[in-house]
Amino acid sequence: MIRTIAALATVLMLVAAPLRASAADTPSADTNTPRGVVQATTGAVIEVLANRGFSTDEKRHHVEGIVYARVDFATLSKLVLARFWNELSEAQRTHFMEEFRENLSATYGRNVESYKNQKVTIVDDHAEPRGDWTVRTKIVRNGADDINVDYRLRQIDGTWKIIDIIIENVSLVANFRSQFQEIMSNGGATRLLQVLHDKNARGEPLKAPAAAAAAGAKS
Amino acid sequence: MIWTSTRVALCLAVLTTGLAACGPPATRGHLVQTRTDYDPLQPLNRKVFWFNDRLDVYVLAPVAKGWNRVAPDPVQRSLSNFFVNLRSPIVIVNDVLQGKVKNGASDFGRFAVNTTVGVVGFFDYATPLGLEQHVEDFGQTLGWWGLTPGAYFVIPLLGPSSVRDIVGLMADSVTNVSSWFAPWDALAAARVVDTINTRALFLQQVEEAKRASFDYYVFVRDAYLQRRNALVNDRVGGTNIDQEGLYGPEANDELYHPNLDAPPLQP
Repeated sequence: MIRTIAALATVLMLVAAPLRASAADTPSADTNTPRGVVQATTGAVIEVLANRGFSTDEKRHHVEGIVYARVDFATLSKLVLARFWNELSEAQRTHFMEEFRENLSATYGRNVESYKNQKVTIVDDHAEPRGDWTVRTKIVRNGADDINVDYRLRQIDGTWKIIDIIIENVSLVANFRSQFQEIMSNGGATRLLQVLHDKNARGEPLKAPAAAAAAGAKS
Repeated sequence: MIWTSTRVALCLAVLTTGLAACGPPATRGHLVQTRTDYDPLQPLNRKVFWFNDRLDVYVLAPVAKGWNRVAPDPVQRSLSNFFVNLRSPIVIVNDVLQGKVKNGASDFGRFAVNTTVGVVGFFDYATPLGLEQHVEDFGQTLGWWGLTPGAYFVIPLLGPSSVRDIVGLMADSVTNVSSWFAPWDALAAARVVDTINTRALFLQQVEEAKRASFDYYVFVRDAYLQRRNALVNDRVGGTNIDQEGLYGPEANDELYHPNLDAPPLQP
């Protein structure tokens, strides 16, 4: 367990909870631009996370709503499954999208109480091939290193949607793709859907706020 | 091990003559390998990974939790600073080997400031002075010279690595200045303290990573390879994965940008 792995561990945690520690530069954001979308999204999430009036469940519910509106789960699912997408029937695709979305939302939900006044600054934004756009942000934490989080956006039906989140150069899409490919090459779509379903069904209950706060002593 | 170019041999030749004038190649040690290529030892790796994880769950993590209760956060961070500073000579050597003179100067400045004013490295006064910290090791230097990672390898006790990074680790142990002076038992003790302290800083992260992943082994492997590749290419943002393969159309035609004909919006 050398230092590399320590650095890696931070990345891993953030893969799990990239949205838990974001804040907007300014409250007003033009959501017709990728930069504006990221600003509005991180800003809205931070507002919920920092709101002491909300219960854990309420926070979870609100964050879920914001994320659902800004992330394109159809594109995300296709990117994550890549060539395996074609091996799925129409019903299996719908099934996959639902389970995958539920899984991501459970992951974010577990971490809504870990927020500790981290700030987000937008570093820059630039065009990518074929019209995609990358918005680079930096999470500024007290007493710890900054974390680079990039959002990749694509214009879908005239709206900019988040299609990947890249934390310290580790792409969420690429990471999930590796995991799903491993599962699918060992048991096909049936196995993949089973694994997803089982994980969701296990229902890993939300940490009680007190326990979450204690566990969140480090971040 | 795949020696992608004669570049490596060339650089080594140049090095022996004392001229580390290797310019950056177009793609440095890029992740061009396919999935089956990069983990041919998977059955063995999984066993070692499992062993490391048991050791972590039953020994390292409990000890780190204990340390976490005793040592306040600033103590842990200072200790972490100390060990990072101790590794500075390795960073500086590899800055130079990659021809990054400016970074090398900055890292040397850091080492000087933090070793003196920062009380042998416990406090980081260099960062506020604008002396940025760089992460370099010989594994990255080999990548910079054009060497691909080769097979993914999980080392007992140490964790994720690759053929390239194992060679790097061995080379770095030579330039690890503290090993020239300190006796081996002191070094071993220091290593144990460093490991426990570092682990204590990431208790929650590892726990969450295990919970969020579908296949923890693949999760760690992919994150490791992506991160190492980014470090080799000195990426400060964005993904280092081949973008065509990740977001492009060839994996699946339906992935193609739906608004291809529309001009990109200027935000």
